Amino acid sequence: MKKIYIIILTLSMSLVSCDQWLEIEPEYTQDAENFFNTEEDFQRAVIGVYDLMQTNYLQIWIGEIASDNSIAGGESVNDTQGLHEIDNMTHGGVNNELRDVMRFNYAGIARANFIFENENKIDFASKERLMAEISFIRAYFYFTLVNYFGDVPLIVDRRISINEVFQSDRTPKIQIFEQIESDLDRAIQVLNWTNPELGRITKGAALALKGKVLLYQQKFSEAAQVFDELISTNQANYALISDMNTMWLAVNQNRSEDVFTIQHSGLQGGDYGCLVCLQGNPAVGFHSIRNYVGPFYADGNSYNLPTQDLYDFFGNDPRRQVTILDLDAFIATQPNPTDISYAVGGGGHTGYYNNKYIKRADERGLPDDDLTSQLNYRAIRFADVLLMAAESFAQSGNDARARTELNKVRQRAGVGDITSSGAQLLEDIYRERRLELSGEGYRFWDLVRTGKAAEAISGFQVGKHELFPIPQVEIDLSGGRWAQNPGY
Amino acid sequence: MKRILWLILTMGIHFGISAQSGMITGRVVDDSGETLPGVNILKVGTATGTITDLDGNFTIEGKVGDELQFSFIGFQSQTLRVGSNLTLNVTLQSDISSLSEVVVVGYGTATKKELTGAVAQVQGEDVAKMNMPRLDQALQGKISGVNITTNSGAPGGTSNIRIRGLGTFGNNNPLILVDGVIFDAAGLNSLNPNDIETINVLKDGTAGIYGVRAANGVIIIETKKGSLNSKASLEFSAYYGVQETARKLNLLNAREYAILKNEAFAAGGMAPPFNNVNLGTGTDWQNEVFETAPIQEYNLTVTGGSEKTSYSIGGSYFGQQGIVGGPKSNFERYNARINFVTELAPKVKLTSVFLYTHEQASGIAQGGIGSVLFNTINAYPTEPVFVGDRFSYLENVADIINPLAQIENTFNETSVNKIVGKEEISYQINEHFSLNGRAGYNFALVDGKSFSPLAWFGPGKFANSARNANLDPVLVDVGGTLIERGASVFENRDSFLDYNLESFLNYDRRFQDIHRVKGTLGVSYFGNRNLGLNGTAFNIPNNDLAFADISASQAPGGFLNQTGSFQTRQRLVSAFIRGEYELKGKYMFSAILRRDGSTNFGPNNRIGYFPSLSAGWVLSDEDFFGNSSVVDFLKLRASFGVSGNDQIGLFRYRGQMNGLARYPFNDFIINGAAIGATSNPDLKWETTLQTNIGLDFTLWRSIDFTANYFIKDTRDLLFQPAVSALLGSYGPGGSPPVINAGNVSNKGLELEIGYGTQKATGVNFRIDYNATFIRNRVTKVPDGLDFIPGAGFSVGGNIATRFQEGFPIGYFIGFQTDGIFQSQEEIASSPVVQEGARPGDLRFVDANGDGVINFSDDSDRTFIGSPIPDFIMGLNLAMDFKGFDISANVYAAIGQEIIRNYERQQPFANQLAYNVNRWTGPGTTNEIPRLTTGQTRNTVFSDFYVEDGSFVRLRNVQLGYTLPEAITGRIGIRSMRFYVAANNLITLTRYMGFDPDVGSGNPLFAGVDNGIFPQARVIMGGLNFRF
Repeated sequence: MKKIYIIILTLSMSLVSCDQWLEIEPEYTQDAENFFNTEEDFQRAVIGVYDLMQTNYLQIWIGEIASDNSIAGGESVNDTQGLHEIDNMTHGGVNNELRDVMRFNYAGIARANFIFENENKIDFASKERLMAEISFIRAYFYFTLVNYFGDVPLIVDRRISINEVFQSDRTPKIQIFEQIESDLDRAIQVLNWTNPELGRITKGAALALKGKVLLYQQKFSEAAQVFDELISTNQANYALISDMNTMWLAVNQNRSEDVFTIQHSGLQGGDYGCLVCLQGNPAVGFHSIRNYVGPFYADGNSYNLPTQDLYDFFGNDPRRQVTILDLDAFIATQPNPTDISYAVGGGGHTGYYNNKYIKRADERGLPDDDLTSQLNYRAIRFADVLLMAAESFAQSGNDARARTELNKVRQRAGVGDITSSGAQLLEDIYRERRLELSGEGYRFWDLVRTGKAAEAISGFQVGKHELFPIPQVEIDLSGGRWAQNPGY
Repeated sequence: MKRILWLILTMGIHFGISAQSGMITGRVVDDSGETLPGVNILKVGTATGTITDLDGNFTIEGKVGDELQFSFIGFQSQTLRVGSNLTLNVTLQSDISSLSEVVVVGYGTATKKELTGAVAQVQGEDVAKMNMPRLDQALQGKISGVNITTNSGAPGGTSNIRIRGLGTFGNNNPLILVDGVIFDAAGLNSLNPNDIETINVLKDGTAGIYGVRAANGVIIIETKKGSLNSKASLEFSAYYGVQETARKLNLLNAREYAILKNEAFAAGGMAPPFNNVNLGTGTDWQNEVFETAPIQEYNLTVTGGSEKTSYSIGGSYFGQQGIVGGPKSNFERYNARINFVTELAPKVKLTSVFLYTHEQASGIAQGGIGSVLFNTINAYPTEPVFVGDRFSYLENVADIINPLAQIENTFNETSVNKIVGKEEISYQINEHFSLNGRAGYNFALVDGKSFSPLAWFGPGKFANSARNANLDPVLVDVGGTLIERGASVFENRDSFLDYNLESFLNYDRRFQDIHRVKGTLGVSYFGNRNLGLNGTAFNIPNNDLAFADISASQAPGGFLNQTGSFQTRQRLVSAFIRGEYELKGKYMFSAILRRDGSTNFGPNNRIGYFPSLSAGWVLSDEDFFGNSSVVDFLKLRASFGVSGNDQIGLFRYRGQMNGLARYPFNDFIINGAAIGATSNPDLKWETTLQTNIGLDFTLWRSIDFTANYFIKDTRDLLFQPAVSALLGSYGPGGSPPVINAGNVSNKGLELEIGYGTQKATGVNFRIDYNATFIRNRVTKVPDGLDFIPGAGFSVGGNIATRFQEGFPIGYFIGFQTDGIFQSQEEIASSPVVQEGARPGDLRFVDANGDGVINFSDDSDRTFIGSPIPDFIMGLNLAMDFKGFDISANVYAAIGQEIIRNYERQQPFANQLAYNVNRWTGPGTTNEIPRLTTGQTRNTVFSDFYVEDGSFVRLRNVQLGYTLPEAITGRIGIRSMRFYVAANNLITLTRYMGFDPDVGSGNPLFAGVDNGIFPQARVIMGGLNFRF
């Protein structure tokens, strides 16, 4: 019997010792809890934060479609339904595009916070610069969220657990702006005017975004100060590109006018199910002409189509053809117009297309050029800086300086100087913004912050549509603790 | 079988009872006069006993008046009084009922009489006889509660084994053990059905002896072993068969096609494409593609044994070509097997199993758009196969290519070398205790190569790899430089290793004749290690298969070539204990507890405990039952057990830096790092609670009946529910944490009835019937998640299947139809607004009653079918008379639906012939909608595309003749049998497609027929020789 006891004992012992065989690690992959051990780890994580900025197609769409500049378009009214609802000011808490805005920006914030959480783990030469870059990007994400949704939960410098979601309230906007400004200050202090690595965030970008953030808060004199620093110091040699007719071509990317530009590549694919996965700019293919067979342009999904109102607004301003493709007029000027064909989408047709972000025959991406385009998104370009500066100076009583900055933009366009002052000057600046910047995703925000949305956008209700609704599903997933924005 | 049992008995009794020199002698024979070795002889009322030797002789000490009990598995026991001459010649009557069959139940065996759980057994010979390439195919219809569906009828095509329904939307494969070594379901290809002794299926909670791997049931396969003290016996079997498709689809011929297309184009406002519709029958693409193909198998087995050693050695070749693709769709298998049992020392036995398999396989594209059969179905009959000396282009449909050109350009070859083995040492410590230690391994080395030549299938074809008909390579822009991308070859070398170390102690003791206590205590370690390396190389010289190797790549600068690798590990550390108690042979209790540690879970939930309890009561042994002349045996069984499923992915509990992080700097995409799935350290196994109540009885010594009712609840299914944006889970490559939530319930009834008779006239007859009824329901999905979407319908169409609360797994959701709109007035007067409806269109049902058919959301989509049969049944018949034998196997699955998803909705694609009866005007039909190339909702997923998938199939029928031994004996052949057989000879079904047996490894894709490669009808002839 003793033998039996020994066997039983041995079996039990072997079990205890076997449990340690269960301690295996995933191989050749890094673990979230054991990352940030080298400079390269930090650099790679920072790429992940930059990546989320490439969701800017939503900014180009919503900023234009919500405004009087364009209609949603597409194959049918069910094609990206959320955009059609925004177009008609009938949007509510169920809207995939608005949900994406919230998800993507918070994904970017979470990625940045994950790095901040580990900021003190090791020291290395480029650390300050990298942290400054992601400070900027986090500020940009929060700025987007606050514009869309107003008060949003402020989470900084660490990841949160699923249970903490149920304790996270919407933080007052003012505190979000404080965080944005402090993040931007960090970027301004640390970053250089230029970075040999094209596409990195620079001091100029940080100054420009800081000025914009102040302007949006109507802190005009502070904004004027920041823009002045940018324009006067200008160690990056920012300047307007002289030929505005070619400035939107791929060959003219990352030039003197690019202050804050989100980079895209035409060399990596993806699919319709995951636009956030793309390195290309999907807005470009989506904007293009449905079933187009003809020269210069290429076929696409007929999204975000400029309105007749915008077309007429230009009058004889030469920027009309820069901004808008009048397709039938273009076809009529071609050698064999009858050989050119295109289709009209069921989601609406105006005859006009976004001529800045559009697929051109020699700028196709690989492998699916409807999704992949190399065209960068100029989030803030120097003309915008000048116009925002003009507005800030005008609002803070310096009309002369305001006219100077405004007329730089007009001179490049080849239109006469503005000589007005006071309220008229401000109006002229607002008009100039539409002439210069239409098709780039700012129009809706300009209308809202200047109080002109109700008169320009049919269906716009004051006190409601300044903010978009918080996606209902997000309210539900927060445990129902967030109140919906007013009016929704 | 007898010999094996004899061996087991010998081993069991040898140590406890030593034969005495005595006076009583005799011989035991069976009812046909053949001697019976290994018969257990016990002097009643004593512990004295012996067993018969190889010639059936025995000697035992005794005196006149002693009672001797003779018992032997498979025979009725007899008790005889010793007469005056002290010689007893005994004839044991065979017991046709299967009560005494020995079943393997995991770390032990039990007779069917002793079983407390729901365990089924199939004999290897019944499987081998089916002449199916794969073991699991042969199991279809053999066991109640086990549903086998077919993924593909192509050579080497796989099946799905589902025991007692679907428990999860994830991995539903049972645990398969071959001589104790883990096999995955796909790896069953390598097993030769002729090498199998028995297949044992643990269906209920008693499978819990395998704990965290047992939730989907356990299949224990034992390979053939030899017997001690037996002369070498050689068996040779062979068959050769011809396969053909059992069915071709009824498609439009050229004339019908032209007429219908003209009509459709006109209805769509376009010019009719055919001026002349008298085009005859045109090309029958199915005739061009389907061919007859050979299938063959040759087997040689030698078994035998000396006093201390037994062996079984086998070798086989199996070869099958496809009924589509011929040699391009090929599967060949070479098996070698050496099983060897020897006594190393007194009381110490070594069992050694060694199986070697070499497989050689190639295949054609299958399943859905792009597959050969999808192209065959949709290629239009007005196109010839050849135009001049090239294949035709089928230019009118961009994504349909000439299927013959496709086969011509398909080149792939996979070879598998696999060794499976076990070394087991059993030590009989004393009469009550025995100790077993074993090590097993299953190692497969898989080498694959596929060559993609530059090919041109016609202008605009998605499948083109060349730039033009001259086969000029595509140009690719790499950093501004154009380079040519030529023919490519993909090669992979993967290795898969499963290994296990187990040791267990068994205890078996009787007390005072009425108590029997058995115990098992053991530990087990399973490990798994898979490695893979692969590469794709471009620009193979001359576009020639002869140079198809990575080493021949001429790709400039390596920009095109790609490499990849993978490596996975899993481990399972377990301990188990089982106690069994039997009182008076009629009350049985069993309790099992298993402790498992699985590397698939984090420290918080790594260790799990899985208990099960079961009991049996043999009512027929009770006094109150009396001595019924009708009911010989009646037993009630009940079991309850908890088991788990840890096959839910590796390292899902932790966050890894495997999200996507990419951004261009300096116009180059830089790869970074980001968190992929958010971690959930509390992740655990899926848990299955199963209750089983069973009843076994035998009538008139010839009818066996078994019924089981079970309730199987699977809980804690893995989900990735929606989570708050704040968590940041929705970046590229990111996903919400995986959590345990969601339940599935399976309730079912299994019935088995068997009847056998042996008549003095020489007619033997056996019939077995089984039926299984299962009700499957998803009972919970987590909050924030309405359903899990499954398979899509058509190309880019709606999601047609779902995993959703209140419905069977993978049920079909779409519009219900209510006939055809016959006129504009009918549309106008309809109380329901159906946008865009025209006369001849399907009339959809307004499921939510809001007066509008909502095409933009799901509110009018509803349940329109389920891929899960209401019941399945199997019928097996066997009869022999004077050397002739006939057998048949019938399988039926009733009540399931199939989605017809192989019709390409393109203006010029060919169509099924049912369209001849389309709607052409008021009153023409109320079933088949009009044809049009214009906008129509008739192509959205509705019950129009759902068909009854019920079928009854004669899977195997066989007629054989065994030559009289008197003749064959003269030439030294013990037995010589010839037979003719047919597989899949008849299928009764209303389903239109190639084959109603449409399975899928993913339960959410079951019943979606993308143009399945049908199982062939095989006519074959074969022989079995024994020397």
